[in-house]
Amino acid sequence: MNEITKTAVHKRKLKYRVRDFVSKPENIILSITVVVLGFFTIYPLLLLLKDTLTVNIADLLYPELFGKKVGSLTTFHWKRMLFSNMSSTYFWNPLKNAVLMSVLASFIAILYGGVVAFLITRTDMKFKKFFSTVFIFPYIMPSWTIATFWKNFFQNPYIGSYQSGMLYWLTGICVPEKFVYGLVPCAIVLGLHYAPFAYILIGGILRNMDANLEEAATILKASRAKIIRRITLPIVMPALLSTFLLVFSSSMSAYAVPQFLGGASGFSVLTTTLKQFINSGWYGQGYIMSIFMILFGLIILGINQYVTGSRKNFTTVTGKSGQISYIKLGVWKYIAAAILVVLCVFCSFMPLVSFALESCTDIPGVYSNLTLKYWIDPGFPLNNGLHGLFYEPQVWAAFRNSLVLSISCSFIAGTMGILIGYAVSKRRGSKLAKLADNLAFLPYLMPSMALGAAFLAIGAKMGLSKTMGLLVLVGSIKYLPFASRSGINAMLQLSGEIEEAAIIVNVPWYKRMLRIIFPIQKSTFISGYLLPFTSCMRELSLFTLLSSGSIYLMTTLLEYWQVWCDQSANALNLLIVVTVLAINLLVNKLTGASIDKGVGG
Amino acid sequence: MPEIRLEHVSKRFDKFVAVDDLNLHINEHDFITLLGPSGCGKTTTLRMIAGLETPTEGRITIGDKVVFDAETGVNISPAKRDIGFLFQNYALWPHMTVYDNIAFGLENLKWKKDDIKARVDEMLKMLKIEEFVARYPAELSGGQQQRVAIARTLAPKPQVLFMDEPLSNLDAKLRSEMRTELKRLHSDSNSTFVYVTHDQLEAMTLATKICLMEKGVLQQYDPPLTVYAKPANLFVADFVGNPTMNFIKAKATPQNDGVMMDFLGVKALFKSKESFALEGPDVILGIRPEFFTICEDGRIHATAYSTLPAGMETTVKVHLNGELISSVVFGAIDFKVDQPIRCDIVGGEICVFDPKSTKRLAIGSLSVC
Repeated sequence: MNEITKTAVHKRKLKYRVRDFVSKPENIILSITVVVLGFFTIYPLLLLLKDTLTVNIADLLYPELFGKKVGSLTTFHWKRMLFSNMSSTYFWNPLKNAVLMSVLASFIAILYGGVVAFLITRTDMKFKKFFSTVFIFPYIMPSWTIATFWKNFFQNPYIGSYQSGMLYWLTGICVPEKFVYGLVPCAIVLGLHYAPFAYILIGGILRNMDANLEEAATILKASRAKIIRRITLPIVMPALLSTFLLVFSSSMSAYAVPQFLGGASGFSVLTTTLKQFINSGWYGQGYIMSIFMILFGLIILGINQYVTGSRKNFTTVTGKSGQISYIKLGVWKYIAAAILVVLCVFCSFMPLVSFALESCTDIPGVYSNLTLKYWIDPGFPLNNGLHGLFYEPQVWAAFRNSLVLSISCSFIAGTMGILIGYAVSKRRGSKLAKLADNLAFLPYLMPSMALGAAFLAIGAKMGLSKTMGLLVLVGSIKYLPFASRSGINAMLQLSGEIEEAAIIVNVPWYKRMLRIIFPIQKSTFISGYLLPFTSCMRELSLFTLLSSGSIYLMTTLLEYWQVWCDQSANALNLLIVVTVLAINLLVNKLTGASIDKGVGG
Repeated sequence: MPEIRLEHVSKRFDKFVAVDDLNLHINEHDFITLLGPSGCGKTTTLRMIAGLETPTEGRITIGDKVVFDAETGVNISPAKRDIGFLFQNYALWPHMTVYDNIAFGLENLKWKKDDIKARVDEMLKMLKIEEFVARYPAELSGGQQQRVAIARTLAPKPQVLFMDEPLSNLDAKLRSEMRTELKRLHSDSNSTFVYVTHDQLEAMTLATKICLMEKGVLQQYDPPLTVYAKPANLFVADFVGNPTMNFIKAKATPQNDGVMMDFLGVKALFKSKESFALEGPDVILGIRPEFFTICEDGRIHATAYSTLPAGMETTVKVHLNGELISSVVFGAIDFKVDQPIRCDIVGGEICVFDPKSTKRLAIGSLSVC
């Protein structure tokens, strides 16, 4: 009897708890997030894994698999990939190349970005304001910008595409092929591209670091050099390590740069090899590669969590870090500024100039005879088989596709980011919130190319192959981490009391979101929309597998043109870069949201 | 103006118990302070009454309406509990003007436009902030923001007003001004106030009754002066009063006419009007600084360790056989360091605590032999 009433009470209480749970919007948001993201991140991984163990149509060409049924189980892909006479070409060499390239790129990025961050935040160098704006450009521009510029600049008739290039045309200097194509230029170009990223991370910490920490050392009679070595460096050390790891992992999954600068010399990395596998229809081996890429990503970011996790509190901002005394550089403040101007111009402006010039040449690399026909000639065909850019239907279709895709992804990711941010901060500390938070961050750990591969698998399974819907889906998921981070940050800054004050006077949930929460954190939320948008506009590696042969985007069209249509490709390149920069500036002006917020001179 | 009743209310976050089996009866027109160190569950208690937090167990009644009951599953939303809530950081909406901040809530409660206008004007006048009506919160000083927050909270005419450390962000002078006004507001508005603070002085000066909590457990629920004079246990005695009560270990020997206390080389006879039982020879004496006086003919010989004159009164740290004892004397005096002084114990509110259970065993007078 007693037992029965006990279970009845228990049941009733459970009912009340369930009712309480579903009456709160944050719980519903979190539950949906966990289910949807759980499905779209775990399921494609399982599909990948399964496909590495099954026979595909194209695999039947292998004598080992001759006569096997499509879809039957096999360990052939794994064996061939890792333990056959082809494994060094297919796997170990690309892996070695990728690691070398990424390590070099990380060092270059940290050295360059770190020095600039230090100069801008800690010294009296000239033109700091100018640098803090212009230095960021390469990071806003697509990752291949410097790569194509590099090619335009250093190309000469004896290497690569056997055309002339800017440097050769101006001076007749022929740089060795190793400096234009292959490991070295890929590493340098990636390093230059990610230097602003290092600058943002390190600069942010230098800027927010309590000036009293250094002043205390000054008062204790430590020399400037000693302060940097014993105080400043150890404090930024976690940031340095973290920058290293993030640049390393981004470089590992970089596709456009090694694709544009590697191909001609046979330099291959994991991503470019993966693309070749998929193009050939050898999905099994391609997917093995993407599984390894995901594993590397997870390991690197796991290390990063470990490195920054416990030490993050180094960077606590205190109220009193007011005036800091700048290091006096003397005459070096002009010399440093001059060197930086040259570098900034090279990385930030020259690419644009070079694309513009190149697009106007009649013969690639010959700048004596300029023409606008690759831009405005409606006639058909030009000698590359295309119309002038403005009359080329492919361009307009690609432009429309890119825009639709970017707007959809940024709307979905941005809105989900806000909702997740809201729900996570409301249920901070609960297991459900942690799970949703981690799941929303998971796509960040997956290399774009591998995520693309995973969605290739899911698309085939769900009948979404070669549709815009699939691109929107993968884009929204890939960029969700940016949006959910900024959503969570925005919500954590907002004290819960602000919303509770409205709850007490009976303001319904949707009205609290629209009238109170969104208006207050407008600029952070908008940057949650902005980041997915610009990233999507310039994304290549995520979409290259999914859109090939079906929906052309600006970036995939560029990749395709890159090989055959030099002038048109450069014109298109300029169009993409300018679009991305313009949108960034526009949103920055309108809302104050920007990538480099908080750093600066 | 309703009474509030909490019966067996508990709140657990996973394993952590924030509030443990709390029973509390708040009479109408009371001004209750929930007092305790940070993390003691006082804010959680307040938020549970307001409906911003859901209790794990128990029942809460406001007036004759049950607003929460774990047994029957009743859980009325905060908006329908007819309450006002004043937040620690004011929670003014930064993107709305002072007027909109006050009016927004009324709009949502479906007031008529003219009524809203009239009520907002009334509140602005009452809190003397008419001139700031078009300003944004960021353009106001802390004190002005506080007033706007109060105006916003009072505008819907709540029956009960909850306040969560509303003065902790103000400077000392403004804080004491606002205290005066809050007390005035309480009698003018005729509502029930529940006020959370960790500041014992605030609790003492404002409340009609103090509810002192520690680690989620109610320690004592009494009027302020009772809490001060007759603390229920060592925690309460230590938490209330500044400088804090002196706690001195003593050996107790029962005698015919009282209990002989032996501490720090002093023998004194403890007498109480109430009967009490000692658990053993070890006790802790609790002597408020004002009962440990310094006088010419005192029977205790000690030295002055340091003297802290504050103008109106002086706190003297007395060095007695290796221990430091606080003494507060009226007026300004300044002893030299290590100057010999004579002290005495006066008053009838000397406490005796049991060191094991920490409960107060007796209260009485202590005369030095």
